[in-house]
Amino acid sequence: MIGGTCVRCSGRIAALQKETVAREKARQLSDQTSYPVIYRMLKGIVLCGVCLDALPLIGNDYCQRCGRDMEYQTCIGNEGLCRDCVHGEDGQILVANRSLLRYEEGEKDLLGLFKYRGDERLASYYGTLLAITVQRFYRSIGFTCITTVPLHPQRLRERGFNQVDLLARHLGVATKIPVRPLLRRTKDTPKLSKQRGRVSRQESMREAFAWDGNNMPCVSKILLIDDIYTTGSTLRSCARTIRGHMGPSCEIYSLTIYR
Amino acid sequence: MREYLLYIKACGGSIPQVQTYVTPSFSVDRSFWQEREGCVLHVIGKTSSLALAFSLRAKVNGYLMEQVGKGRMLTEGYVKELRALAVSSVCEASSLYGREAVSVQDRLEQGWFSWEPIEESVEVSYRGGKESRKWTGAQLGFLGGRELLRRSSSRENLQEAVLNELLDGRALLWDEIETLLKKRGADAQDLLAILHSFVLANKAEWRPGIRLAVTKGWWRKQLELVCERCGSAGAKVEFTYCHTCEQGCAYCTACLGMGRSKCCTPYFLMDVGESLIRSADHLQNVARLEWAGNYSADQSRAAERARCFVANPRPGLSEFLIWAVCGAGKTELLFPSVTEALAAGGRVLIATPRKDVVLELAPRIQRVFPGAKVIAVHGSSSEKWEESDITIATTHQVMRYHRRFLLVVLDEVDAFPYHNDPILYRALSRAVKKNGKLLYLSATPPGYLQKRLVGKGRPTLGSSGVIPLFSDTHVLLPGRYHGAALPVPKILTVQGLHKRVQKNRVVAPFIEAISTSLNEDRQVFVFVPRVDEIDRVLSYLQKWLPAHAEEMDGVHAADPMREEKVLAFREKRYTVMVTTTILERGVTIPKSDVVVVGAEAPVFDEASLVQIAGRVGRSVDDTTGSVLFLQAERATSPTRAVRQISQMNNLAQKLAEQRGLS
Ligand SMILES: [Zn+2]
Ligand SMILES: [Zn+2]
Ligand SMILES: [Zn+2]
Ligand SMILES: [Zn+2]
Repeated sequence: MIGGTCVRCSGRIAALQKETVAREKARQLSDQTSYPVIYRMLKGIVLCGVCLDALPLIGNDYCQRCGRDMEYQTCIGNEGLCRDCVHGEDGQILVANRSLLRYEEGEKDLLGLFKYRGDERLASYYGTLLAITVQRFYRSIGFTCITTVPLHPQRLRERGFNQVDLLARHLGVATKIPVRPLLRRTKDTPKLSKQRGRVSRQESMREAFAWDGNNMPCVSKILLIDDIYTTGSTLRSCARTIRGHMGPSCEIYSLTIYR
Repeated sequence: MREYLLYIKACGGSIPQVQTYVTPSFSVDRSFWQEREGCVLHVIGKTSSLALAFSLRAKVNGYLMEQVGKGRMLTEGYVKELRALAVSSVCEASSLYGREAVSVQDRLEQGWFSWEPIEESVEVSYRGGKESRKWTGAQLGFLGGRELLRRSSSRENLQEAVLNELLDGRALLWDEIETLLKKRGADAQDLLAILHSFVLANKAEWRPGIRLAVTKGWWRKQLELVCERCGSAGAKVEFTYCHTCEQGCAYCTACLGMGRSKCCTPYFLMDVGESLIRSADHLQNVARLEWAGNYSADQSRAAERARCFVANPRPGLSEFLIWAVCGAGKTELLFPSVTEALAAGGRVLIATPRKDVVLELAPRIQRVFPGAKVIAVHGSSSEKWEESDITIATTHQVMRYHRRFLLVVLDEVDAFPYHNDPILYRALSRAVKKNGKLLYLSATPPGYLQKRLVGKGRPTLGSSGVIPLFSDTHVLLPGRYHGAALPVPKILTVQGLHKRVQKNRVVAPFIEAISTSLNEDRQVFVFVPRVDEIDRVLSYLQKWLPAHAEEMDGVHAADPMREEKVLAFREKRYTVMVTTTILERGVTIPKSDVVVVGAEAPVFDEASLVQIAGRVGRSVDDTTGSVLFLQAERATSPTRAVRQISQMNNLAQKLAEQRGLS
């Protein structure tokens, strides 16, 4: 385990310095009821005070649907929705998406280390960030279960690890919500970064998933997690498959680290 | 899923020769043995964990050597015993793994390792080759199952030749081999089988990325996992349930940045040998040195000694240190050695800890060796997989080579981040060809290298004795190329130094030193021990020297503006730069002075302070300058650094006098 060294800067974590930052950030992310929980999680996170302070947290002005930070949006849409969500099609498939961090340049290396290099030691760090996000946005929703965006079996075998599954497990332990695999990936889509444009990505996502879970009560609230929300097409495609099987009374919320 | 089969090969006359093998493709082995000798192959079982297969091989081999050594015949009953041994070993490893793998979340109820025992013995009769030795397995009296095999159609020799050429001298994980072949446009069918045939033919070695062994501790047995690529073990190797081999696996976190080395990934070390046979004309062109510079008398002697070392065919003479003070012109010293190695038909590697040095060095070397192919290899380099005569690489990348270079040069051996790291030395010695040479280049060689290479057993630096100027294993260049002495630092102890700075109280020698330099139109490096002190010292100086406040700035390693700031300092837009040890080497500014604030801090060791002092007085136009070490309390490193510098000056002077006499 990493223990006393910061996962971002590899520096030693000075407890005293971190304490102040953790308090300040906890106040920023919580209301009175959730403060103790969020504070405890922030304190336990493997970051030093400086790096904790530098986290690109999404502020309190965010898109009500996709969770994007509105402060960084040039065009502010109506009814608390960002431009993409106002114009986007089938917005109702997902009730909402929430994320904790903006996907800034400095974040790419760390996520890459986890996602592509397979440094599984980061799972507990990112898992805690997700747990904080649940506390921040989804505290009052009683989720039936957590589920993940699956990898194609072929890809999973090549890579040997599934970073989103590791996240789900950490989140499940932290929130005491059961984790259930519900989906199977039927199409092996190329790496997102290699696809050109939004439309082609949405196209390639169509029917990429199939139902692969046990039966559940049809009035379920499902928390769907992934590492990053880019256009949301992957998450929506998963949600569509789940609702297709479980019926329209099933509500699906998504949760990612980055937006 | 790839699977690996474990089998025992038995052959020979009255005294059977037995050996255990692991193969990804049994048919390759069968046809390989068929072409060489008749034998019986007793299959033990298979698994998708290469590490497990290798550990069983070691176990079975050990057992065999012991028993067969006692004259026991390899009967069918005995083979059965061995199969049982394998099964019980897997169980043992499984339970040990489970004990350690508490943090792995996919806890398995039944066994962490999967092993499928196979009861099959195959008789292979001799079929081909040029020698017509008559031999049948039956003569040995084995009772194994019989299966006659047809000699498989011979593989394309052309394909093998291409792979030989591409992979020679490299040590790569399976995924890296695939990447390399793709980048070089080679397309091999059934690559693993071909590579395995190289292994059988002794042209390559292979291992699992992470080696697994059950060792006897003082108290109980334990599982030992070691990264075969970088040599890390213990806490550096993480347990994980793996979706590639679908069982207990482990990966190395120390070399993770270069890809995941794990239990189920084959790691190939290729040593084809003499694959590079080129014409004399070609070699002459490759080794052609076009350099208009001049050596000083001392430089030329040092360079010649290094060249002689490289040219010396004496075995055992494999390491040499060029110890050249800061500003001695050490890169130029390498040219004759590099020429020597290239002319002999070898490849050359220059390894350095820092990427910016790689990027700066590559074009410089290419200019002086216009006929050679020079590549720069670092983490994100696109030339990584190309063929070359001279490779300039970061020390990390050296791990990817295996007996590839006739000459390996390690530049700045004492520099961050690999100082005295066993991983580095392991990788370096592996990159050198058999009979190849390893050359260290440093201004401040670490103690263990001095002990090893500088006049063996004789007094070295720090002691009062004289440092020998050369030996079979080193050469020392104590003077700068312009001939002027190294500026000797001044040490000043200021009581409560850090408090004073913090409270903005006057530290007269500090402020005076800086204002003197600025008044003389010189620039100043101010070194502080830690990043968080940069701003403090910067604002302190800005307060006390308000006239120059605008020309001051600070820079640290992770500073997003780092390159811009260093450039601005080079262009004299800034006159004072407050920084940490990141600027201790590399950045050279004519007409500059140095102040270290807090020289007693542990980050400033002797070598670091010598390097820092070495910033000053390097250019021919300005050979002097001032170096001030401010310390809050007495410390050994500043004193030792001053002693080292003075010692070098004395040696240089003596050398000059000798030259004058002769
Ligand atoms: Zn940090
Ligand atoms: Zn939105
Ligand atoms: Zn390693
Ligand atoms: Zn594995």
